[in-house]
Amino acid sequence: MAAALEKRLMTEPFFSVRNVVKRFAGLVAVDNVSFDVSRGEIVSIIGPNGAGKTTLFNLLTGQLAPNSGEVRLNGALINNLPPDQRAKLGLGRTFQIAKPLIALTVIENTMMGAFLRYPGLRASEKRALAILEQVGLADRANVRASELTLSERRRLEVSRALALEPQLLLLDKVMAGLNPSEVTESIALFRRLHDTGLTILLIEHNLKVVRAFSERVIVLDHGAKIAEGDATTILSTPAVVTAYVGTRKRA
Amino acid sequence: MSAIPSTTRTWCLYAGGLLVTLLPLAVLSGDLFWVNILIYTYLFAGLAVAWNIIGGFGGQFSLGHGVFFAVGAYMTARLYLGWEISPWLGMIPGALLCATIGPLVFWPTFRLKGSFFAIATLAFNEVGLVMANYLHTVTGGPRGLQIPFKAGLGNMIFADQCIWALIMFGFMALCVAITIVLMRSRLGYYLLAVREDEEAAHAAGIDVTRVKLRDTALSAALASIGGSLFAMYIRTIDPPTLFSLADIGVKFALIALIGGIGTIIGPVLGAFLIIPAESYLRAVMGGGLPGLHLVVMGGVMLLAALFMRRGVAGALDALWRRRSRSAS
Repeated sequence: MAAALEKRLMTEPFFSVRNVVKRFAGLVAVDNVSFDVSRGEIVSIIGPNGAGKTTLFNLLTGQLAPNSGEVRLNGALINNLPPDQRAKLGLGRTFQIAKPLIALTVIENTMMGAFLRYPGLRASEKRALAILEQVGLADRANVRASELTLSERRRLEVSRALALEPQLLLLDKVMAGLNPSEVTESIALFRRLHDTGLTILLIEHNLKVVRAFSERVIVLDHGAKIAEGDATTILSTPAVVTAYVGTRKRA
Repeated sequence: MSAIPSTTRTWCLYAGGLLVTLLPLAVLSGDLFWVNILIYTYLFAGLAVAWNIIGGFGGQFSLGHGVFFAVGAYMTARLYLGWEISPWLGMIPGALLCATIGPLVFWPTFRLKGSFFAIATLAFNEVGLVMANYLHTVTGGPRGLQIPFKAGLGNMIFADQCIWALIMFGFMALCVAITIVLMRSRLGYYLLAVREDEEAAHAAGIDVTRVKLRDTALSAALASIGGSLFAMYIRTIDPPTLFSLADIGVKFALIALIGGIGTIIGPVLGAFLIIPAESYLRAVMGGGLPGLHLVVMGGVMLLAALFMRRGVAGALDALWRRRSRSAS
């Protein structure tokens, strides 16, 4: 048994997406997309507006179910699992538009995630505080989430996701709307998290961010994967440049 | 430093607060008019606290709790009249039934949000009224059920009204205690997360539907117990009384709103404000211009809605914060 499990873990990718399709009536929003993420990787999904990034992301987090294809985490099929069960299996996510529980304090927000692994009130609070230290919100622990700045709200999203102790962290345009110094800070935070062994999959618009810290880039256009590879190579591939910024004439 | 207040401190605080609500009873125990008002105040405080579990903390603004109240009342009365089952025991099947039908009828309704949910639950109340009129064998139809006066502890019928006041006080204390235990647990926090943002709660590993159903069951069971006590206290129950929106179904929510929705003491404060004021005004004005007391109560509620958005508890909280800020 144990040997078989070990073998499976060795051969099966940590997170795999196979031939995933999502249609909305006549529109194919995600068209036969496949990719793998290995444990400990940082992968970015990029693409122009309307490329299907957010739909793909929602298929991975469980907001939507694919029409066909497979999403597997650690070999387990999670296609039709709701978000809460995916969280139990080790999948944490942030929302593009931060969703702080505004009537609650920062630490209470974080505890909501921490309860998953630490059901007791005190244990959860202790864990939440440790995470707030990690993301640099500890001094705001007892402030209501409604009083946070945009960048703090983003970090609160990350801390609630981290409190789930995920194996894979999915970040939805987590840098959008941040100023350059906040972006630099965020990148440093995610680097630190990555150093602790966390696997990160992000959807990102900001090519500076993509170049700065993703090890691999997947490019979507019109719902299909058009390219995949390391950041520097991909961002200079003609097809990607065309999809992203259009042709020189149009630009 | 921990943000969670210690267990002992919390319990002492609330126990102290509840004991204060016994003071008017001690002072007025000789005055039957006021004892009667106090009985209703304790009862409706308990009911508003029970409603507040799912309606306030859970953010599911139910106007259908009158149904659970009525089920409790009918079940207890019917079991007592038909099989002489002591109401003390007769409360239990009613509560269990409500803990089952509450989640069942709310389940499809939970897809609706905000006022749409409220309107749909309002319809339950009307369906309940029709059914109570129709199900003659259980409810006695439009004529209702009359419970003969046969005093005795086992019958839950007492000649001394003060005993009723103490029972209703016990009910209120039970509802408050259950709410405290709930809100100091992971399950209570989950309820708040669901109220604040379902999508975020879901992503945080919370089974949103299960949280709503479980706390509906708890809230409905407590409302049913309130209905049982009400039935044994007034000993005459009929559909228009039990399913009255103004006096039962909507009143739970109204009391919680005025007192402070989503707080533990809010519904108790609300009941102590509304029930005595309403009863007193009804007695004073009812003779001259019937219905005038409703106009006055409506005005009070309007003012509360305009100037105390977070209810009495919210207003006190804001005052307290301002004072402690100016002090520091």
